[in-house]
Amino acid sequence: MAEKKDTIGPLGRREFLKVVLGGGAAVASVQIAQRVSASKPEGSSPHKWAMVIDQGKCVGCGYCTNACRAHNDINPDISWNRVIESGEVNGEKTYVARPCMQCEHAPCVDVCPVTASYYRADDIVMMDYDRCIGCRYCEVACPYNARAFNWEAFTGENPAVPEWGVPEVERRPRGVVEKCSFCYHRIDRGIAQGLTPGVDTDATPACVVACPVGGRVFGDLNDPESEVSQILATRITHRLRDDLGTEPRVYYICPENTHTLEA
Amino acid sequence: MKIKSLVKNLSRFHYWLAGLSIIMVIGVIGALIVFAKGLVVTNLTDLVPWGLWITIDLSAIALSAGAFTLCAAVYLVGLKEYQPVARTATFIGIIGYSMAMLCLLMDIGRPDRFWHAFVFWNVHSVLWEVTMCVGLYFIVLTLETLPIIGGADWFKERWPKLSDWLTKVHHYAPYLAIAGLFLSMLHQSSLGATYGVLKARPLWYSPSLSVLFMFSAIVGGISLTVLASMLAARLSEKANVDDRLLEKLSHFIGWALVVYLYFRFWYTFSMTYTYELGRTEGLSLLTKGPLAFNFWLGEIILGALVPMIILLKKDWRARPWLRMAALALVVGGLVAYRWDVNLSGQMVILTYLHDEINAIYTSYMPNLIEVMVGAGVVAFGLMAFTLGVQYLKVVNYASDEHPIEHMIDPVLAPGD
Repeated sequence: MAEKKDTIGPLGRREFLKVVLGGGAAVASVQIAQRVSASKPEGSSPHKWAMVIDQGKCVGCGYCTNACRAHNDINPDISWNRVIESGEVNGEKTYVARPCMQCEHAPCVDVCPVTASYYRADDIVMMDYDRCIGCRYCEVACPYNARAFNWEAFTGENPAVPEWGVPEVERRPRGVVEKCSFCYHRIDRGIAQGLTPGVDTDATPACVVACPVGGRVFGDLNDPESEVSQILATRITHRLRDDLGTEPRVYYICPENTHTLEA
Repeated sequence: MKIKSLVKNLSRFHYWLAGLSIIMVIGVIGALIVFAKGLVVTNLTDLVPWGLWITIDLSAIALSAGAFTLCAAVYLVGLKEYQPVARTATFIGIIGYSMAMLCLLMDIGRPDRFWHAFVFWNVHSVLWEVTMCVGLYFIVLTLETLPIIGGADWFKERWPKLSDWLTKVHHYAPYLAIAGLFLSMLHQSSLGATYGVLKARPLWYSPSLSVLFMFSAIVGGISLTVLASMLAARLSEKANVDDRLLEKLSHFIGWALVVYLYFRFWYTFSMTYTYELGRTEGLSLLTKGPLAFNFWLGEIILGALVPMIILLKKDWRARPWLRMAALALVVGGLVAYRWDVNLSGQMVILTYLHDEINAIYTSYMPNLIEVMVGAGVVAFGLMAFTLGVQYLKVVNYASDEHPIEHMIDPVLAPGD
């Protein structure tokens, strides 16, 4: 072989390089062109869902967590929706209820190596449980601890069922990460029946429906008449870790804050 | 006399293999428990989801960096004399990446879906890029290893035709070196970026992590290659080395450690200025908290400073055991660095309540099952290298079977 210094197999060296690099580049560029926008939703939706949680009303009863566990068939060790004691105002305990923030710029979607976390057309941050490999990078990346890994299989009865509702989605298998989905299935089913999410209970996330003090409001940001749009226009609200630029779509009214924007 | 020494040698060799086999069996038992019951049997939690196995995975990949570095040195820069060292490094590389992939298979919740990243692309994800690069680079390493297997005497005797084919792959060595350099520079850095891009973790959130991961990998990878070659030459009759080359490489590692410490110093020092929530707490975990012993002794003093001095001082470097000790310290320092980076960022969690954002602390220690599996993976690596030394002569500078037939055109090889 030593005498044929300039050829490798049937191809010349340069030809070989050209073929390999050219072919590789062509395949890669087609793939990348197709995928660059992969984490952006396909199609469009007229809706943009948001939630307002009024900490002034929240009494920390945990009904939201229970209803969520039943409707989404969640392992009792896992909370998609946590209720956390956050301090005291005028001698009364205050709480932060924390579903998934449904970020507009979600770190979990950015880091997922297999696009198992993705944006739906209406911008709900979704999980594809058939695609998740369970690497848990999203857990490390989420600033809100909103994600939980299925460390073991959830078999047996769900203690929240039927007292708090009946499961409406499939139980997740062992080894995938799961999180709150804004009860997308209730939204979709409701819209198909001509209902309005946030107005009709059958089309509204289970936690919002379960709240006994009306501390949660759900609705469409694209509809200026919706209750969430009205609250955001008139009340002082804020979002958790706004400094990170994640642009959550869960807004909070602080316990001590009874003022309106005009006041 | 010959038989006597053979028996003596064989028995030591056999004890070694038996010991490694036992550890591997223990590792397999651990793995089976994990597959049967799920990752619930580990000490990993939703707050610290990455632990010992990720550290082994990161370390194995980093310590394999000798392969791409030395292949680039030989086939692209033109330092032909280092070819036998590059051969050893390549073999260590394929073992290291195998270890990393075994660890990852254990660590992910759905090992049956390991291939998803190759099909479902998220080009925004550095972890996706790492997975693609590791997969492609493993192919490169396999191609680079084929001539080593094909060149073994027993292989040649049994399958002369196949041996011929496999050895011919060596003609592509310069191109494989280019591919290896490209893929390795991408994913060695991106492993640092995996941590560095997370804004929610202030201690990690920094472009420096990519540079430090890349650079420490080059230093650690070459160190392991030289150390393994020197050890093999002393423990096995099948191995022989040219110490002049290894001595020169060790000298280079000494200087590389100077540069590494320079980067490391400014990266760490700059973080001590002004209080930043989460970052300051994370840094104090490292410098005076539970990781301080690891950091000061494992990473800085023993992991970099002491070996730097030994390897730069000519008389000390000339003493084989002292040099080997220094190289082992560099390897240990790299593992300590990966462990510390991975844990320090996870051990500080920022709360997200708007009235008060606080740093709270978590902790993690691997449990027995994690240690069993981890030890099994390491034993697999040692076993593979031992067998390589004995039967594939991966540490053999005497053989001149594969002279370098064509160097790459002098674009990258000035003055050659």
